[in-house]
Amino acid sequence: MKKCLIVGKPNVGKTLFLIRFGEYLGLQNIKINHMDSSGRIQQRQYTIESAKKALSSSEPFQTESLQSIELEIPILKGKKKVEIIDSSGLIDGIHQNVIIRRGMAQTLSAMKESDIILHMIDISSYGTHHLINGLGKTDYQLAQYGLRKEGYVILANKTDLLESKSKIIQLQKEFPQHYVIPVSALTGQGFDEVKTYVSRRI
Amino acid sequence: MRAGNRHGELEEILLRLEKGKISTEDAIEKITVQAPISYNEINHRESLEELIKELDRMIGLEKVKKLVKEIYAYIEIQKKRKEEGLIAEPLVMHMIFKGNPGTGKTTVARLLGKIFWKMGILEKGHLVEVERADLVGEYIGHTAIKVREQIKKSLGGILFIDEAYSLARGGEKDFGKEAIDALVKGMEDYKENLILILAGYQEEMDCFLKSNPGLKSRFPIHIDFPDYELDELIRIAESIVEKRQYKLSISAKAKLSKLITQKRMEDHVLSGNARLVRNLIERAIRKQAVRLQKTGSFSREDLLTIKGEDIAEGDV
Repeated sequence: MKKCLIVGKPNVGKTLFLIRFGEYLGLQNIKINHMDSSGRIQQRQYTIESAKKALSSSEPFQTESLQSIELEIPILKGKKKVEIIDSSGLIDGIHQNVIIRRGMAQTLSAMKESDIILHMIDISSYGTHHLINGLGKTDYQLAQYGLRKEGYVILANKTDLLESKSKIIQLQKEFPQHYVIPVSALTGQGFDEVKTYVSRRI
Repeated sequence: MRAGNRHGELEEILLRLEKGKISTEDAIEKITVQAPISYNEINHRESLEELIKELDRMIGLEKVKKLVKEIYAYIEIQKKRKEEGLIAEPLVMHMIFKGNPGTGKTTVARLLGKIFWKMGILEKGHLVEVERADLVGEYIGHTAIKVREQIKKSLGGILFIDEAYSLARGGEKDFGKEAIDALVKGMEDYKENLILILAGYQEEMDCFLKSNPGLKSRFPIHIDFPDYELDELIRIAESIVEKRQYKLSISAKAKLSKLITQKRMEDHVLSGNARLVRNLIERAIRKQAVRLQKTGSFSREDLLTIKGEDIAEGDV
């Protein structure tokens, strides 16, 4: 089974995207495998609503370690399984909390093993200089890495907060060699395109 | 083992990130950006150039030189393709060398081994030189064992079979056929890590390949080693004496070309023979020593020069 990793800075909406994407593909109950840094896996079952409440929040660093779901994506007449992995956010510099640093190490380790990388950024804060939400060094590094990695795509999340498309155009101009999919984890915009992208690579 | 090391490195970086010793950017940088070229690789590169120069210095052999440059370019492009995630085909480089004795087949094979080693195509790049007797057994089942043994020895390098056509002689009951089958199996099994070169006379090799149509398609590279021209042979002679810090007088050169021309008329097979030249020179050096010893007194110039009278007339 191919692995598809969602990475990005904290609070760009990775976890909400994971849950909503599962919902979009028809899941009613969601089985989430929580993997701690020593590699132990614990499976918990949620309903979509309870998962949203328990796992995602508007505070950064809600996700402290890898969590993944298995999805079946319909391809032609059949279905293919893919593991979608949600990771804890990457920040620039050295964070003072060891749990967060450990989570980031786990994220990077997963990045090396993944077949597809969904690099999520918060398009609503793009271009501004907000402390956490603007593009960070790590984002540019990931984009650089994406040049050599097959199956790398930028998900410009939170389009629901945008008033016009200018930021998306601006972003695509900045990364002309990358494929950018505007999405909204909240409304489900762009999920079709993500599904097509992922299904072509599994 | 190399993979293990790399894995260890990754864990080391992640551990340092977890301990707060390096920033996230540093960690990503170290993980994603390719490692800078190591000293080893620089060394490799330098001596690869050296080896290609050595090949370039060989007299004649224009086709071989061109081929090596093509392969070199191909390898580089395949590496780049791999980096970009495009399909990179493994190289199949089994070869057939056709030409008379002394036209440089073994010398080129040995050099190719080293060059491919430096390019990273072969793990060791050594040359295992075998002939019929090393491959064909005496009783049923013996042949396969012998062939397997030779293949094992040459893994990571080149298995060079001289006078390969002799494997097909001896009719239906001969074990040579068995040897061919075992070789074909070996080259399929180890195509990543073994280059097989079949060498022999032009006509015999053509005949051999015609009688084994499956073989020909398995050897994508065919190189003809044409006989050397007279002036090429003289140049070879000069390079041999130069390496040994001697030089040929004008009379010696004249005598050499006369002798070589004479040999060509007499014997067709030996006509393009660099080995003949080598033997002539070896003999001349010995004769020069005897001549000088007799005279008793000699200058530095005398020690250096090979004269016409040193070049032997008789059989070589």
